[in-house]
Order: sequence, then C-alpha cells, then structure tokens
Amino acid sequence: MTNPVPVPQLEETAKKIRRRFLGMHFQAKAGHIGSGLSCIDLLTYLYWSHLRPGDRFILSKGHAASALYACLRERGLFSEEEIQRYYRDATTLPAHPAAMAHAEIPVALGSLGHGLPISAGIALGYRIQGEDRRVACLLSDGECDEGSVWEAALFAGHHRLSNLAVLVDANGLQGYGRTDEVLGLEPFADKWKAFGFEVREIDGHDFTAIGRALSSAAGDKPLCVICRTVKGKGVSFMENKLEWHYLPMNEEQYKKALEEQGR
Amino acid sequence: MRVEFAAALKETLNADPSAMFLTGDLGYNAFEELQKTYGKRFLNAGVAEQNMVGVAAGLALTGMRPWVYSITPFLTFRAFEQIRIDVCFHNLPVRLVGNGGGYTYGIMGSTHHALEDLGVLKGLPNLSLFFPCAGDQVQAAVHAMAALEGPAYLRLAISAFAKAGRKPLSENPRTLTRRYRKGGAVTVIGVGHAVEIALAAMESSPSTDADVFGVARFPFDPAADAELWESARRTGRVVLVDEHYLAGGVAESLAAALPALSRTILAARYRKDQLYGTSRFHLEQSGLTPEAVLNACQTKG
Repeated sequence: MTNPVPVPQLEETAKKIRRRFLGMHFQAKAGHIGSGLSCIDLLTYLYWSHLRPGDRFILSKGHAASALYACLRERGLFSEEEIQRYYRDATTLPAHPAAMAHAEIPVALGSLGHGLPISAGIALGYRIQGEDRRVACLLSDGECDEGSVWEAALFAGHHRLSNLAVLVDANGLQGYGRTDEVLGLEPFADKWKAFGFEVREIDGHDFTAIGRALSSAAGDKPLCVICRTVKGKGVSFMENKLEWHYLPMNEEQYKKALEEQGR
Repeated sequence: MRVEFAAALKETLNADPSAMFLTGDLGYNAFEELQKTYGKRFLNAGVAEQNMVGVAAGLALTGMRPWVYSITPFLTFRAFEQIRIDVCFHNLPVRLVGNGGGYTYGIMGSTHHALEDLGVLKGLPNLSLFFPCAGDQVQAAVHAMAALEGPAYLRLAISAFAKAGRKPLSENPRTLTRRYRKGGAVTVIGVGHAVEIALAAMESSPSTDADVFGVARFPFDPAADAELWESARRTGRVVLVDEHYLAGGVAESLAAALPALSRTILAARYRKDQLYGTSRFHLEQSGLTPEAVLNACQTKG
C-alpha cells in the first residue's frame, strides 16, 4: 500500500466502489447516500495509497459506514456474503459500524464526536509504546459542532501527536441545513491551526491533492486536511442536495445513478 | 479512600507495564508521587473528561490498560456516552475511578454529589462496579479490577459515619462482600461505604439482633455470596442502606434479588426545598441515619 497508485487507477477504483455502494443502498432501500458519496474518494486514497500494515483508520462520521463497507469489500477485506447482508436482520453491517464485528473496524461509531478522542488515544498509545504506526481519522464538517472534537483537537495539538492525520469531509451540508447557516465553522482552517495542527485545505475529490496533503511532512504536529467535497459526489441529481442525506433510491433513480458511473 | 487508592494504584503500575494513569486535572496532594515516578504513564489530560475517556479507549485499543480518574459526577455523567460506547461496547480494559460517591463532597454542593452514578452505570454491558465499604477495602478492589479483562468502575467515598477500627468478621475474596456482625432477626446490608451508617447503629444499640453485611461489587454473584443469600432467607427481613437515590440504585437491585419476604430500603432523597451542608447534614436530611436503621430493624415488615 505504500507504492503510489496512479491516479487513473484510483479513479477507476473509486468508480467501482461507487457502483457497489449504490447497489448496496438500492438493494437495502437505505439512506445516507450523499454522506457516503462525498467521502468515497478519500476512502479510496486512504486504503489504496496511504494506510500501511499496522496503521489504523477510524471513521468518526459513522453514518458513512456503507461507503467504508463497499471500500473494504473492494479491497478484499470483506466477503461478498457479508456485504449481501448489509442493513438486513442478523447482519454484522448495520447502518452505522457495530462494536467488535470486524477487525478492520475497531470501534462502534455513529454518535458524532467520538472518533477523534479515540484516534488521539491510539496515536498516543503507539507513541508511548515506541511503535511506528499511524492513525487516520475521518470527520464530517457537521460533526465539528461537537465539543468533544475540540477537546480532542486541543489534546492532539498539545501532545504533538504527529502520527495522527485528521481528514474532514467538508461537504458543507449537515443533518438539517447548510453548515454555514446552522453553526458556522469558518474560519475553519484557522481553528485547527490555532489548536496546534498543521493544516492543508484541498479539493477532496482530487487524488493528486489528497496525496500531496497526506504525504506532506507536518513536522512534530498532527495533520488536519480539510477536504472540500461535494455531498452526493458522482451522481448529478444528488450533488449538494440535503435530501440525499436521508432518501433511499427508487429503481429509476438507481439506474440513472449507475449510468453516471460509466462502465 | 484517595490515599489508599494511590497506594494500590502504585502497586498496579509497578506490576503491569501496560497500566497507565490519566487524571482530569485532579489529585492535588495525592498523586504527586505517581506523577514523579511513572513519567509517560502518568498523564494529566486536562479538564476534558469526554476526551479523556475516549483517549483511554484508544490507548486500550493499542494494548495499554488505562486508569482514568476524576470527581465522579464529572467522569460518569459528563462522559457517560464515551463510557457506554467507547469503553463498554468494546469491552476494553479501561478502569474508571470516581472520587466522591454519595454525599462525600458535602458542602461543595450538589454538582459534586454522586447519587445516581451506580444507577446509570449498572445497566452498561461488560462493566463491573466496585464500591468499597471502607478505605481498607480499596486495595482489594483495585487488585480485582486490575485482574479483569474488561472495564470497571471504582467509587471512592468517605462516610460521615466512618470510625477507625471497625473490622469485618470476614470478607468474600471473590465478591468482596463483608460480614460485620452475626444476628438472627434481621439482615442489614450497606451498599459500599453506607455500611458505616449501619455499623454506627449497631454500636449505639448493641443488643440489636441483626446480621450485618456490606456489599462492594456489582453484578452480584448469589452463588459466591451464599452466606448473604442464606441470611436473607433465614431472617426473612432485609434492611438496605444506600447513599444513592433509590431509583436504579444497587440497594434496589439487591432487594429485588434477595429471597427475603420483607424489605426496607433507606436511600438518599432529593427534595425541592433541600438545603446544603456537610455530608452528615445531607445524610440526616435524607433520613440516612443510625436511628433510621434501628427503627427499620425494629419494624416488622
């Protein structure tokens, strides 16, 4: 996973994951489609080009679990049988990641504001034990309303957890409105800087930019990459639409969404 | 109990190189030696309890065994969801230590009292609760917690009715249940440090025909605590004393579990017109007194 994967290959992989993801959601009649689509490119980069054996990834925005499941299936870490049971009775793959169901998903997430404190603890644990391992944690921008995110940011900055990378999937939409209207986060980059992070702000769908941001040395500071993304990315009629935080697809919508992924 | 806790924790940190101590910016005049001795394994996480518990869960995921300390309401109530999800759902070896069970903090006021802690924590999966009867039981509780694979909570408290020199007749090494006295007419049970109220009652009226126990661990283990269960069956009358609100408390659960025919629970009470004072003042305001215990013992259920 340490060899750089060419961008066209990452793009093709992300498309495959989107197709799988849309299929899972159509079959399950499950919502949270927009939230997953906005971070599939980030997940693709993390799992194909960033995470090394022994590194940890924590999906703090647990409502994007199906995007992670689709990604882990594509990576060969989940079986097809498991994926087929997504969102059904007696599954290990509910809408938000469950506790202790899979080695690749070490913690239950879905209540916002939990992933960053845990990630900071993992990063600190590796450091205390002298292990050269890293943690990446993916937050949503709406999640940054939670006070515990900023408690953890203060902690990570103070302890200079340089083995921690925070990615914020900043798609600008949260549960019931636009983030700038609900509870404004700007100046967002300045906030993370002020908490002791090295900050990059990028287009979260540009693999070259993601790669450059994640590999740029942050010295002895934790890294925060603010990824400006599009909620519903890749499906024209879902892009930047709040309702796709909730709605499932009907057959016609599914066909159209799939067509847009090409073949 | 804080001093006894610091001593027992030192043994644990010595014995287990993966053990670590985190405090929510508390412990003045108690933990300075630990801080000097254990370097990176002592961490003041600041006044940020939600983060501290999440960090502890993260540390545990890397193989460490953290102890997390604060004043108990700030740990249990502020960080409840982190305890529930991050720690308990994953059955992680995180040891939560709350100082100031019940009315221990007295005149500090109601923000510092913990009268619902055991009640809210009792329902969490995988979590074992420890509430020592007295300072001389803290070491045993810490050792029992350290030996667990999963999470645990320790409630440190000081009773307004504590008196030096009170010794139990016996202590069950597994459940930590203590027997303080033998008698035949009634079974009196204190939940943790509330047993001191019952013991003060017996000292003021030595002829009372009461079997007296202190319980210190939840969930209960009726098979291991056969002596207590047998006492309740034999006397048919149980009086429980709990420095905790009645609803959801350990006394309420124990009363439901025991085979006695008649039960009285003396517990802390919230009143809209309540006033504030020492822990003893609060106990008296709640009717949690030796006199109330004696009255309950003399009442036929």
